Amino acid sequence: MQNWNLYSRGDKLFVRINAVLIGLFALSTLYPFIYIASVSFSSAFAARAGKVVLTPIDVTLSAYAHVLSEPQFWNSYGNTFIYTIGGTLTSLLIIIPGAYALSRPQLIGRRFWNLMIAFTMWFHAGMIPFWLNMRDLGLLDSMIGIIIAFACNAFNIILLRNFFESIPQSFEEAARMDGANEFQVLWKVFVPLSKPAIATITLFCVVARWNGFFWAMILLTDEGKVPLQVYLRQTIADLSDDEEFSSTLIDAAYSVETVTAAIIVCSIIPVLCFYPFIQKYFNKGIMLGGVKE
Amino acid sequence: MSGVLLQNIVKAYGAAQVVHGINLTVQEKEFVVLVGPSGCGKSTTLRMIAGLEEITEGQLSIYGKVVNRIAPKDRDVAMVFQNYALYPHLNVADNMAFGLRIRKMPKPEIKQQIKNVAEILELTDYLERRPADLSGGQRQRVAMGRAIVRHPKVFLFDEPLSNLDAKLRTQMRAEIRRLHNRLGVTSIYVTHDQVEAMTLADRIVVMNDGRIEQVGTPMELFMNPANIFVAGFLGSPPMNQMPGTVTEKGVEIDGIIIAVSGNLSAQVGRKVIVGIRPEHVSLQKEKGTTALPINLDLVEPLGSEALLHAQFGAHQLVFKTETQGSIDHLSDVSEVYVHASMVKLFDAETGEALPL
Ligand SMILES: Nc1ncnc2c1ncn2[C@@H]1O[C@H](COP(=O)(O)OP(=O)(O)O)[C@@H](O)[C@H]1O
Ligand SMILES: [Mg+2]
Repeated sequence: MQNWNLYSRGDKLFVRINAVLIGLFALSTLYPFIYIASVSFSSAFAARAGKVVLTPIDVTLSAYAHVLSEPQFWNSYGNTFIYTIGGTLTSLLIIIPGAYALSRPQLIGRRFWNLMIAFTMWFHAGMIPFWLNMRDLGLLDSMIGIIIAFACNAFNIILLRNFFESIPQSFEEAARMDGANEFQVLWKVFVPLSKPAIATITLFCVVARWNGFFWAMILLTDEGKVPLQVYLRQTIADLSDDEEFSSTLIDAAYSVETVTAAIIVCSIIPVLCFYPFIQKYFNKGIMLGGVKE
Repeated sequence: MSGVLLQNIVKAYGAAQVVHGINLTVQEKEFVVLVGPSGCGKSTTLRMIAGLEEITEGQLSIYGKVVNRIAPKDRDVAMVFQNYALYPHLNVADNMAFGLRIRKMPKPEIKQQIKNVAEILELTDYLERRPADLSGGQRQRVAMGRAIVRHPKVFLFDEPLSNLDAKLRTQMRAEIRRLHNRLGVTSIYVTHDQVEAMTLADRIVVMNDGRIEQVGTPMELFMNPANIFVAGFLGSPPMNQMPGTVTEKGVEIDGIIIAVSGNLSAQVGRKVIVGIRPEHVSLQKEKGTTALPINLDLVEPLGSEALLHAQFGAHQLVFKTETQGSIDHLSDVSEVYVHASMVKLFDAETGEALPL
């Protein structure tokens, strides 16, 4: 803590209370992870009896053995990757040029277009019209349908548009003088300057896609196309309904709880790997030094 | 052939006209400075030449070609921005190479160009650095380097030194002029700083409120300002101004008649503004001078020169004089002498210089 001794008593108290609150908050977000991971490594009996609090009880890998031996798990896992990568790329392909266009003062009807984009954030047609729309477009039970139906997100466009608007006009002008056309101004100047904003949006897209559950469940009927989250729900339902499985529960190596936890852990790992990779782009101050204010 | 030719150039933003029909010829290899108070339309004019603003009316030609409807990239002009606008994500070499790469210049040639320009601007040791890691003066040089590597027909500068501290500004000013002497590229330079204008320009264009007040060499403008605006704008401290009336023998101010050179007979009785530059008085009586009785109230030493603040009748005037190593002899000055040829007269109504 810099200049700690120069803080007044009130300020010191404030800093201490903050530290405690932040600590509690961190703990409250971390604990579910630890709990789920511990359950996934515990025995079925311990998990069902609610014995797991912090660390695994009767450590076993049988839940994982069960999960990883299911071909449907791997299939849905692969689908989730397809939806996440394909969906995020499609989104960026729409959001970046869209936000750039909306940020340009010379866009004809700019206010109108911006209003139309923002409009979609406040008013939805609702679930059933959307479903009917998808049906009429022939996009039910279609992987392409899932990817393109949710590719364009107004919030992300507005976020990036605002970032683009904050880039000093002289960058665009300098690039123009240097001979750049619109596309080059966007690609060689605005996109590199907007890495933090684009990283944020990418993260939003990835997380939304990775956790995407509801619409996938509504729109997809073919088991071969469902993502991991839908598979997870099916597994829970299947194992809960399976009376034979329930009756042998005392002796079973795994249970609904441990299998569910194991699937969740498997689904978290890629996100954990992805985040540090993208975090380096969250560095502020990339604009520093380019223009003199 | 002229380098840049502006014919009746008008700029309007909606209903608001900010540049009112400018005519200007910039010769090939000439260094022209547009100077004027803030908001007078200098940047707008420059940006129309660059192609960053549309021209509302009139015709703009660059090296004989009308470019009103030509995109900036096809005008073969380069611009140095006030805030430099260096690409923060690129290092110095890539900043300079940006335009060349877009124009698809072969790689070895780009490398050679950057090497040459870096040497001229003494940036060789900084080529790998990002703009954020450079000092203000270095950034300024990179901004110039980015313009120079392209070998454009015309350089445009929009207040490129205004973000530097005073010392660096003086240094970079000289550097820009040396560079111009070396490269000989037609240049148009915008500033609100009259010292920059005087020191840099082959010719100065004084602008005010969207119009050109006067065009000429720095000394022409200094010695023979066309109107009271130019007289007051150029020179530091500014020209002393007093209301007076033309008589047979000279110009009368509060009962004192000051000799003026030139033929006044046609102007007798005319109300005028009398202009005397602070540096155009002497402390010794000489032939052809008029004595101005003054009440000295302050002496400000500047080193080799000193400013005398004094009252002349009801008028507060400033004079500049040499110190000769001491200001002791200045404290009892009660008269200054002004030569007839150094007294300028402007019409009291229009502010135009009187033809004498
Ligand atoms: N985009 C614009 N819209 C409306 N008025 C503008 C615009 N840009 C500049 N102006 C006006 O034009 C006038 C000249 O501006 P400018 O050329 O920037 O002056 P300066 O001589 O200080 O460079 C100013 O009064 C300014 O308010
Ligand atoms: Mg300006």
